[in-house]
Amino acid sequence: MDTSTWRRTDVRLACVFLLSYLAAGFFLQVEGVASLAERITKLTELSNQRSIIKLNNERYRELVKAAPRNYSIILMLTALNPNRGCQVCQAAHEEYQVVADSWRITGGNDKVFFTMVDYDEGHDVFNSLKANTAPVFMHIPPAGKPKDADTLNIQAVGYEAEVIAKWVQERTGNMIRVVRKPNYGGVIAFSLLMVLVAGFLYLRRNSLEFLYNRNVYAWILVAVILFMTSGQMWNHIRGPPFMQRNPQSKQWMYIHGSSQGQYVAETYIVMSLNLAVAIGFILLNEAAKSTTEAHKGRNKVMAIAGIALVAIFFSALKSIFRAKYQGYPYSFLFK
Amino acid sequence: MSASEAGGGVVVSRTSKPTREKASTAAASSIPSEDAVKKISDGGAAVQTKPTKRKMTAKMGFITLFPILILTLAWIAGFCSRLFAVVRFEAIIHEFDPWFNYRATHYMVKNGFYNFLNWFDERAWFPLGRIVGGTVYPGLMVTSGAIHYFLSLLNIPVHIRDVCVFLAPIFSGLTAIATFLLTKELWSTGAGLFAACFIAIVPGYISRSVAGSYDNEGIAIFALIFVYYLWVKSVNTGSVYWGALTALAYFYMVSAWGGYVFIINLIPLHVFALILMGRFSSRIYVAYSTFYILGTLLSMQIPFVGFQPIRTSEHMAAAGVFALLNALAFLKYLQRFKKQINLWLLAGGAAAAVFAAVVGLTVTGHIAPWSGRFYSLWDTGYAKIHIPIIASVSEHQPTTWTSYFFDLHILVCLFPVGAYYCVKKINDVRVFIVLYAATASYFSGVMIRLMLTLTPVVCILAGIALSELMETYLTGLDGSTLHKKEEKSSEEVVVKKTKESKDKNKPMFDEAVSPGAKKPSGAAAQLEDLDPTGIGISIRNIVVGVACILLVLFAVHCTWVTSNAYSSPSIVLATYGHDGSRNILDDFREAYYWLWQNTDEKATVMSWWDYGYQIAGMGNRTTIVDNNTWNNSHIALVGKAMSSNESAAIKIMRDLDVDYVLVIFGGIIGYSGDDINKFLWMVRIAEGEHPKDIREADYFSPDGHFRVDSGGSKVLMNCLMYKLSYYRFGEIQLGNRQPFGYDRARGVEIGFKDIKLEHMEEAFTSEHWLVRIYKVKKPKNHAKVTKKQSKIKRVISQKTSRKQEGVLRKPVQI
Repeated sequence: MDTSTWRRTDVRLACVFLLSYLAAGFFLQVEGVASLAERITKLTELSNQRSIIKLNNERYRELVKAAPRNYSIILMLTALNPNRGCQVCQAAHEEYQVVADSWRITGGNDKVFFTMVDYDEGHDVFNSLKANTAPVFMHIPPAGKPKDADTLNIQAVGYEAEVIAKWVQERTGNMIRVVRKPNYGGVIAFSLLMVLVAGFLYLRRNSLEFLYNRNVYAWILVAVILFMTSGQMWNHIRGPPFMQRNPQSKQWMYIHGSSQGQYVAETYIVMSLNLAVAIGFILLNEAAKSTTEAHKGRNKVMAIAGIALVAIFFSALKSIFRAKYQGYPYSFLFK
Repeated sequence: MSASEAGGGVVVSRTSKPTREKASTAAASSIPSEDAVKKISDGGAAVQTKPTKRKMTAKMGFITLFPILILTLAWIAGFCSRLFAVVRFEAIIHEFDPWFNYRATHYMVKNGFYNFLNWFDERAWFPLGRIVGGTVYPGLMVTSGAIHYFLSLLNIPVHIRDVCVFLAPIFSGLTAIATFLLTKELWSTGAGLFAACFIAIVPGYISRSVAGSYDNEGIAIFALIFVYYLWVKSVNTGSVYWGALTALAYFYMVSAWGGYVFIINLIPLHVFALILMGRFSSRIYVAYSTFYILGTLLSMQIPFVGFQPIRTSEHMAAAGVFALLNALAFLKYLQRFKKQINLWLLAGGAAAAVFAAVVGLTVTGHIAPWSGRFYSLWDTGYAKIHIPIIASVSEHQPTTWTSYFFDLHILVCLFPVGAYYCVKKINDVRVFIVLYAATASYFSGVMIRLMLTLTPVVCILAGIALSELMETYLTGLDGSTLHKKEEKSSEEVVVKKTKESKDKNKPMFDEAVSPGAKKPSGAAAQLEDLDPTGIGISIRNIVVGVACILLVLFAVHCTWVTSNAYSSPSIVLATYGHDGSRNILDDFREAYYWLWQNTDEKATVMSWWDYGYQIAGMGNRTTIVDNNTWNNSHIALVGKAMSSNESAAIKIMRDLDVDYVLVIFGGIIGYSGDDINKFLWMVRIAEGEHPKDIREADYFSPDGHFRVDSGGSKVLMNCLMYKLSYYRFGEIQLGNRQPFGYDRARGVEIGFKDIKLEHMEEAFTSEHWLVRIYKVKKPKNHAKVTKKQSKIKRVISQKTSRKQEGVLRKPVQI
């Protein structure tokens, strides 16, 4: 089923390409459009201006369709206009830009050119390639028609720069070492923060007592520990969704069904549960610290609140765990 | 303040009177053991650190006895809860790495230590071999070898395998004691006892120390905690003696586990933090200098470590802090003569100089930069891109919150509480535990394996938090209430007394000055009023009760987790029927036994690297790759053979001189950890080295899924791994309703059933098809002749019969 439709499109594509070849041949003879050398010079010039060459209908015919070629064209079909509402396109474009820049920086030759067609500027290109989705990455070989593998399977492998580079290497044999611009944003933010802190310290230089405030450090440490023990690092590395909608009942799911995964919302819930239990314990301890007559009532309330926090929120934590971990038998207070 | 203390003294004597009377009756029976107790406590265990001038009363004996009793019970409980696997199956070595450790230990016991250090193992990484002595941390083997040696000196005949199986559970008791000592040094005896009991049964540690899990971590966690205890002790005392002991313990740790890098970075970090906090003192100078110099020299004696402590970036923090510390000490010394030296400026300059020197040496190549494994801890995306072989291991994945809860339970919540109190009441050594907590929780988040280093600090801080709670809620009442409580849980109260007698700084009995004590103490009904804090006895009871329930839940949870998750030997599998009957699948050992008995002694077996150690350990055959993943390209070669088609694979296998190929197949019993499920990693690793021949994308179906049914890719169906796994599987029908060739592990009917093998033949398949072994056919004796080649041209000789006689040109040499 799947494969047969693929083949059909394949045949159609082939027809389209044959026709376009013929058309291009006519153009060449009739108008005497740019020879191979001229086209390469033009492409090189364009790619020196911008590492991704923007194509419209005319340029596409002139530079991509024209034969003979001895260069490969990597073509990205996209829709960057915000009105089109294609968020993937924007992300994919950034990755594509990284690949194209890397190619230029690491001394690219004139065998591969990176091009891009926006839907709003090149309807005909989309039509001629029978593309009705965006983004699409295609490789147009120097000779012959593009095969199945000349279209990058975004669904399967994604569109990260490394993936694109690998695919380009597979198709053209040109090795691209992906060079990402170092993310100066982080450095700038960090140094800004440092400057702010330094300035703050300088302004408050006469009363640096707060630096010795142990409460601040204690809560910072508690925050770090809670951050880590609630699996935020897992979120950072795996990038799970915040929460997901159940495909059947259309309800939002905060809690991942298996113990192997987790949603971001879920980790926040767990973090606050952990925090509540920890605060409960601290309240319990603080309740017995003061022995003055005036604090007696307050102490009692603190103790009751503390033990209630511990018992209730720990039970909640335990029941969430029980829901996630198949076959776990124990619970406390409520299931 | 002094008045209150005096008052406190009076009250103490009053309140503790009934206790003493009560205890003295028990003392008569415990007198004979008292001397023994004292000896133990003096002999390094340091249960009693401060020599008190008071007479050794019966109460004192009680106080010393209880920690020892509790620690002994913790040891026994910890040992017993690690025996699930032994009781259920037998005393058997588990999993993968332990098999190599066992094999190496066995070799050492048989051939002696020096032969072991010089051992070149030609059975592994064929044809390269492996220098075992220089690529192994020998501490584990030496430890169990020494135990075996002493037992045999005492004429106790124990097989070395049994020593290996029970080593980790025995060491867990030592870990509990080391944890007790460390916590006691940091906080109090009560906290120490809690921490020791926690670490004895906490799943996060049990996961690596069940009986049969004969791995480095089993003894290394003890060494880790013991080093930390000695370090804290040497910071507290500032003596060369303790510093040198720290270095010795560190030597043991280096010999046992690669995780020693954590120590050699954490201790300098501690010293650095102390300097920054302005807590520099001669104690720290003495402790660190002694530890660093001796520790570095000793660690370089381990062949595997060699010159790394002075050549790699991992160790440079320690060297840098050492230089800085000395610079600072020198500046302090100068300051004696010249008061107006700006110490901070100069020290900052020294730090900058040290840092610049390290960076400079790294750039010029004198110091190796961070290794990939270490680097991947900081840049979390690094391993996935650059070192697939590290990323492929399941224990190198990040940690979900469920894992934390699973491994630590209530301790997850108590951990921040203990940390909070440590910061609130900070001192030199508590800085250390705070840094340990912060760093270890980061590392455990990045890599699930490092949960192991987090667990001890969690136990320590949870012990501190809980003992604070118990201290608050079990004491602080009037004498009569105290007495009442004592019957309930005497342990904590006695522990409290120890503390109270030693720790004069802490006003334990605040109520002496409180208005509650001044009130005329009425009947028991007025006990509520006696409570100086106003919390009241009933709430106190509830709090203590809930805490006890939580502790019981913790213990039950730990036992359940240990029993269900961490006690599977993974080379013997068990399935349970509907009626609870147990069915043991012993396919692995069956297959390895077959290899051992039925193949040539020099035969070479190719398998994925996971099974290398087991084949060598149980089958005693030569392997191509094994779990010591030191040579990526060799592994990639095996991966390439597995993921190419048969004719390409046979070339690689002939090159590697492979006789047998072993694959793990879980399709019949539904075992999900088999080679087909690991297959994508083989492809990825092979692609990393041979991008021209292997492409991951080829193994996916057109819609981008990895599937073995008819929708899967053709390349996958024709690769060696697929063929070997599913050979003749299409002839099998597992259930009446299921089609032929239904794969239970993936839940699909396989796509290619009529598998023919050209260059290989099936040699052995275990009972449940879990292990399949194929023999690689030898090349044919003569080449196959095609029809074209087979046309024989007959050339009619031109020579006449007379000329055919011939003449010898050279005389024949004899």
